[in-house]
Amino acid sequence: MSYSCTSREAVCNNQDPSGAKKPSSNNPRSSGIGGDTDGGSGSGSSSSIGNSSRGNQASSSARPPVTMKVKKGCNSADVGVPATTEDDLLANSTITPEDVLGLQKITENYLCSPDENVYNIDFTRFKIRDMETGTVLFEITKPPATDKSGEKRDLDPNAGRFVRYQFTPAFLRLRQVGATVEFTVGDMPINNFRMIERHYFREQLLKSFDFEFGFCIPSSKNTCEHIYEFPPLSEDIMSEMILHPYETQSDSFYFVDNKLVMHNKADYSYSGGP
Amino acid sequence: MGLLTILKKMKHKEREMRLLMLGLDNAGKTTILKKFNGEDVSTISPTLGFNIKTLEHRGFKLNIWDVGGQKSLRSYWRNYFESTDGLVWVVDSADRLRLEDCRRELSALLLEERLAGATLLVFANKQDLPGALSKDAIREAMALDDIKTHHWCIIGCSAVTGENLLMGVDWLLDDIAARIFTAD
Repeated sequence: MSYSCTSREAVCNNQDPSGAKKPSSNNPRSSGIGGDTDGGSGSGSSSSIGNSSRGNQASSSARPPVTMKVKKGCNSADVGVPATTEDDLLANSTITPEDVLGLQKITENYLCSPDENVYNIDFTRFKIRDMETGTVLFEITKPPATDKSGEKRDLDPNAGRFVRYQFTPAFLRLRQVGATVEFTVGDMPINNFRMIERHYFREQLLKSFDFEFGFCIPSSKNTCEHIYEFPPLSEDIMSEMILHPYETQSDSFYFVDNKLVMHNKADYSYSGGP
Repeated sequence: MGLLTILKKMKHKEREMRLLMLGLDNAGKTTILKKFNGEDVSTISPTLGFNIKTLEHRGFKLNIWDVGGQKSLRSYWRNYFESTDGLVWVVDSADRLRLEDCRRELSALLLEERLAGATLLVFANKQDLPGALSKDAIREAMALDDIKTHHWCIIGCSAVTGENLLMGVDWLLDDIAARIFTAD
């Protein structure tokens, strides 16, 4: 059967009578269409990248903070995953997603070397925006790699694997944010690209985030924005997080075909200053 | 839609949907994606890979994939078909010269087995341009009335003004939800 799905703006065809249901035109999205922003920036955040000898390289390589979900084990994949320790994993020749999902706290070390990034995956942009106001709270881009010129970009092999974020206390009270990451891949196709990110305050897992990008086109530039709600944090944990900068930390693990190829770290301050 | 897919959805319990947005280059896919999510659309460059947004809308968890439409990228589209619940085909209504290209690409997609269970939403985009063909003209040029294999709907829209984007997505979600989540 045919039916007209909505007013005169649309024409539809539906062969399945059971699916012939009038769409509802209410329920507008909270962030709304037409909530176009001017990309204003600032709003009380600053960052220092690398936290090493080369702040101006801006080679950020960790994911933006997604620290607000105070839901323990909110990732259903965590359920039933055997606990692992960093020492266990360091003894393994390859590390799988299940391995890192079993970790109980932030890692002390990187679980793979920068050389294992054979697909040449490169994170080139991070952005966080407040969905309620459209304000860009944080944005950092990495200039294209300058390998062509033959310049050695850095001597510290871990530079670019660590990002330090500095936010104001107000950040913890945001309701809905969009966190964007942009990355490029080298000239080999990637069949199964997956990211697992784990955020902790001290020993407490705040959030475990698991996303499968799947296939990546060779020499492509890709973006991914996760838009999500912050459940309100308890006043206690918020004040603890504000009082103890950089005790909120995250591990970002990246897998190709279920093998760890990149590991980045970040830490976070919400005390509003350096 | 296979029984397995239905079982998988029910098992996950989360009302999760995967939408795949395709179309020729310069159709406005990325602009639609960004406008729909309240982002600045003044500086958009050709997509040389994918743009993903994950968001919650009306209680559904949406994963929206926008894959570049340049000719050299189209052979990679098939890598993104798996598990697609909704296909959004975006047409530049002002690009009369490539309408036939556009029709051919769409009809090829509709033969794909892995898209067999997907609902099709066609956005006749750029209705704000003076030279744009109407939604009905696009419907004819795309031969949509010949489609018997998929639920489909065409909506005239403008990614730049945001007109009708929400309506299109809502229709898509309703159709998918009626097929998948109420099946028991």
